[in-house]
Amino acid sequence: MTIDPLYLVQLTLNGLVLGLLYALIAVGLSLIFGVLEIINFAHGEFLMLGAYAMTFMLPVVGLLYAPALLAAVLITALGGFLLFELFLSRLGQHDFERSILITIGLSIMLLHGTQYLVSATPRLVDTELGFDGVAIGDIRITWTRLIGGGLALAAFASLYGLLTRTPFGRAMRAIAQNREAALMVGIKPRTVARNAVVLSTALCGLAGAALAPIQLVQPIMGQFLIFKAFALVIIGGLGNLPGAIAAAVALGLFESWIGGFFEIIWQEAAVFLLMILVLLVRPNGLFGRAIVRAG
Amino acid sequence: MRRFAGVGAAACAVGAAALLPTVTQSNYLIGIAVSACLFTVAAASLNLVYGYTGLLSFAQLAFWGIGGYCAALTVATFGGNFWQGLLLAAGLNGALALAVGYPALRLNRHAFVIVSLSFALLANLIARDWTELTRGPLGIPGLPAPTLFGFAFRGTATFYYLALTYAMLALGLLYAIASSQIGVTLRAIKQNEILAQSQGISGLGYKLLAFTVGAVLTAVAGGIFVFHLTIVDPLILDFYYMQTFLIMVIIGGAGSFWGVVVAGVLMSALPELLRFSADLRMVLYGAILVAAVLVMPDGVAGWLRRRRVERLRAALQ
Repeated sequence: MTIDPLYLVQLTLNGLVLGLLYALIAVGLSLIFGVLEIINFAHGEFLMLGAYAMTFMLPVVGLLYAPALLAAVLITALGGFLLFELFLSRLGQHDFERSILITIGLSIMLLHGTQYLVSATPRLVDTELGFDGVAIGDIRITWTRLIGGGLALAAFASLYGLLTRTPFGRAMRAIAQNREAALMVGIKPRTVARNAVVLSTALCGLAGAALAPIQLVQPIMGQFLIFKAFALVIIGGLGNLPGAIAAAVALGLFESWIGGFFEIIWQEAAVFLLMILVLLVRPNGLFGRAIVRAG
Repeated sequence: MRRFAGVGAAACAVGAAALLPTVTQSNYLIGIAVSACLFTVAAASLNLVYGYTGLLSFAQLAFWGIGGYCAALTVATFGGNFWQGLLLAAGLNGALALAVGYPALRLNRHAFVIVSLSFALLANLIARDWTELTRGPLGIPGLPAPTLFGFAFRGTATFYYLALTYAMLALGLLYAIASSQIGVTLRAIKQNEILAQSQGISGLGYKLLAFTVGAVLTAVAGGIFVFHLTIVDPLILDFYYMQTFLIMVIIGGAGSFWGVVVAGVLMSALPELLRFSADLRMVLYGAILVAAVLVMPDGVAGWLRRRRVERLRAALQ
């Protein structure tokens, strides 16, 4: 089999963008786990929420990309705030199973509520940017993909700065590292937990909004992606943010390559088999557990 | 004395269940009873894994669906009969439970939950995408009635006895496990695994045992269920089923054998009563789950137990 190098570069670029957007979801999931020790099963639905917010805001703001994206992120973050204040804040520290059952219940309510309200029909989302792109030689990449990848990178850079340079972020890392010690120096776990949930859902909303013009928007989209995000978080090490990002980018590339040459079923099965393999060899994930190493 | 009362009540319930087709001629009602038998087995299996052992396993959904596909494919594609299909369902899912359970159970319970969920979602994707084997979203319709020594389990009432017999066998086995030394050990592991290990109990072995038994029983129930539906398609792996099993366990009371069995029987009727819109029904299910977890974390059985303890305390004072 001869492989056209251009085709390979094209696949690599698409895979990179996809991987960066996966990473936004996985990072949020990992952050919530690191700080609250719970797994947010409704995370995929927040992605869906972000994508639908983008879909419905675009016509309102005249198809302008930036304001619609901003609105989508804010709406999703508000959803995260409600999630914490109404449900997650009622859970104790050892209510792990209850947190899962509650977020699953919410996930199903959001998914089917959306399906009931806007129907399950997939939507194609158009922006001011349309489906134009830049061409470097024979390689084409659409503006929406390029911006999506850029936004993800910017988000990771700000998240890193936030976690290492500001009291807001340092408090999150402190709670994740040692809850008792953090309490002793006067960090309020409830506030930090709320911040972590709002931040995570905002990242998820950003991913959803950026994905909307790239993929079809449909209520079930969160379910497809969350499954991958879970595997990524496990592979990267639960609660380990750089690990989750590395695993996500690797998966995006991997999927794009496999999808380019093999049948789709292998694309879906690959991540699960990889997860089982990693768990057999390194039960704590490839990168162990630490939210972000002090830097 | 309590024990005799329990056995007596169970015998009465079985007798009443066996007489159901003589009471009503309605295929609709008997169809609900068939679902009730099989859902209750699946819920009781989940109870063994989650309620007793403390492992929140979403893999039950995968076993239910893969069991359904095993039974259907054996008859429709591999040229076998229904019973061989159930055997395949039991064997394959037992093996899968060991293969997935061994790496996943070595982890902490957080990671176990995620792995089990990913496994269920993967089964769903494969059912949809591996069209050469599963025929994709169209599924395999027109499954024939099972036969035994020339006798066909045709018609809902006849099929009901098949489902009821299986439910009795499976629930009997689960009860035997739950009330034996194994059940006590599983509870010990749930409450404090490190303490259990210090008593010389291998946590992993027992957890793997509970996970595998739950998988096999659920798979066979799923295999029988698709022959009741007479079709298997990727909807058998829909999260709706997992949600139903979970609600039964949570409302009944995780870790209470009879609580979950009673909830399973009663709540099988619930989806039939709520026949407005599939999506709204799911929203309501989600709300019930959230409310139950927030308000009644130990289910009805836990609530009754707490009340009994409180009354005893009051009497002592």
